[in-house]
Amino acid sequence: MTVRTRSRRRVRPARLLLELLLVAVGLVMIAPLVWLVVQSFTEEQAAFEIPPNWIPKPFTTENFTGVPDAIPFGRMALNSLQVAVIATVGSLLVSVLAAYAFSRLTFRGRDGIFLVLLSALMIPAQMTVIPVFVLMRNLGLIDSLPALWLPALINVFSIFFFRQYFNTIPRELDEAARIDGAGHLWILFRIIVPLSGPALAAMAILTFQAVWNNYLAPLIFLSTPENMTLPVGLVTLQSSHGGSPVVVFAAITAVVVPVLALFLVFQRSFVASIAQAGLRG
Amino acid sequence: MTLTQARPKRAAAPREKARGGGRFRRGEWVGYAFLSPALLLFLAFVAGPFVVAIVLAFFSWDMLTPAEFNGVGNFTEMFSDPLLYTALANTFVFAFASVVTHLGGGLLLAMGVNRMMNRALSYFVRTTLFFPFVISWAAVALLWKYVLDPTFGLVTHYAGEIGVQPPEWFTDPAWALPAIIAIDFWHTIGFTFVIMLAGLQTVPRELHEAARVDGARPYQVFWRVTLPMMSPTIFFAAVVTFIGAFQIFDPVQIITPDGGPDDSTITIVMYLYQKGFQSFQIGYAAAVSILVFVIMMAVTLLQFWGSRKWVHQQ
Repeated sequence: MTVRTRSRRRVRPARLLLELLLVAVGLVMIAPLVWLVVQSFTEEQAAFEIPPNWIPKPFTTENFTGVPDAIPFGRMALNSLQVAVIATVGSLLVSVLAAYAFSRLTFRGRDGIFLVLLSALMIPAQMTVIPVFVLMRNLGLIDSLPALWLPALINVFSIFFFRQYFNTIPRELDEAARIDGAGHLWILFRIIVPLSGPALAAMAILTFQAVWNNYLAPLIFLSTPENMTLPVGLVTLQSSHGGSPVVVFAAITAVVVPVLALFLVFQRSFVASIAQAGLRG
Repeated sequence: MTLTQARPKRAAAPREKARGGGRFRRGEWVGYAFLSPALLLFLAFVAGPFVVAIVLAFFSWDMLTPAEFNGVGNFTEMFSDPLLYTALANTFVFAFASVVTHLGGGLLLAMGVNRMMNRALSYFVRTTLFFPFVISWAAVALLWKYVLDPTFGLVTHYAGEIGVQPPEWFTDPAWALPAIIAIDFWHTIGFTFVIMLAGLQTVPRELHEAARVDGARPYQVFWRVTLPMMSPTIFFAAVVTFIGAFQIFDPVQIITPDGGPDDSTITIVMYLYQKGFQSFQIGYAAAVSILVFVIMMAVTLLQFWGSRKWVHQQ
């Protein structure tokens, strides 16, 4: 009893200090983002002042209207969305089918093929990008969106991830359905997939984020501004179009804030998906 | 229950044999059918390109004139290019610094947040730590170019307030790479933090309590209980962080497209990009990509080998 009270008395101030310290870290982490948003709503003459202004004064939305004058921002956003949605939905479908085969079906060479796929996780994207570029050129897909989403349809990690998850779903369920005359597609999409909500959400979020944020692929495969996706679009706005800093900041804000808002909504499953992928992988 | 489970399997087996006269046993084709989209895409975009990259490395090709067999010419040329060694050195420094700072920082932050009592504050800290990781590198890199700007940047001003004169980050060869390391820390620490926090929460509370009841001091609990129990998580984070850091490209390409002052920020993937997609030395770039592959493979195997020594298996 004495030990307890002693340690409690000693820990309390330390704990308060710890909380304050961590909150300070949090404030430092978020400061650049706050500064970003504030500058993008400040009139050009007043922005980027020293000492830094933390309130948008005088307030303006004019910086945002300057963005579409420099780059086809709306077009780029639609391109980004299109690529990310197709890649996410497509790769989930491909992965789920393959994972079902590895988890539930028996056929010759199954484990061998699985090992080959797994070992391909070691191949860095930089090694395949050159031949894929040649392939896309031969297919006439350079400077078109399929060049981005087509290679993203195959995701070995997500096949592996789903197989592990499917293995935890009791086989009695699909055997019962099979006795009732159900086919494999029915079992997959009516039994297994509905039971794999968390795994699907995790992989969907991770894939969408990776494709949405991808910088190297559009840099290599796309060239005209109308076909470009947002990350490269932002950089060209800053470098070649010589956009004034407030306009660049407005564009970054327009890209970043919706993503952060989306993150706040899905925070729980997003963070869980990272942790889950980490602990399983 | 066990009987009814076993029965359909047993009954099905002889029927499968009886029916499937051809190449496939009954039902085998279903497996290949389910696998075929993945396999086709895998061949087209992973395995095929992997083999082609190896072949291309022995040719010189600019994509306009026909490819010419070059033997090991690309490799000898590559290994006599001083810029390759600069790029490799920068990349290793960056990767090593990332692993150390992210693992150390991530673990400390996770342990701190794990002890926080106030729920709202804990939510605030967790959210802000993770915020930057959600944002694309393009946005992060552009933003930080301004944050570190020597005339109107945030860091410049607040460092000046406490009496520190910050360097001109991206024109000073000594500070360009450290600046990128710092930006990467800001962007990626949330990822390591979340993995560490998840790992910490799998350590049973009773273990800590038992150790404390036995009279262990806090640092002893950390070294003898927390760290061994966390070692699989730490190991995973180390491998993932290293692999990610070794392939760093986006921020360096965006902030210092020419490789920085005195080539101080050129990384190996940037070198590959310059050779392959700016000067169109396709074969040469393929040779560089093989080098990247071999190094990553070697380091990962080394890490796995090392992990057998110190990772605590449950």
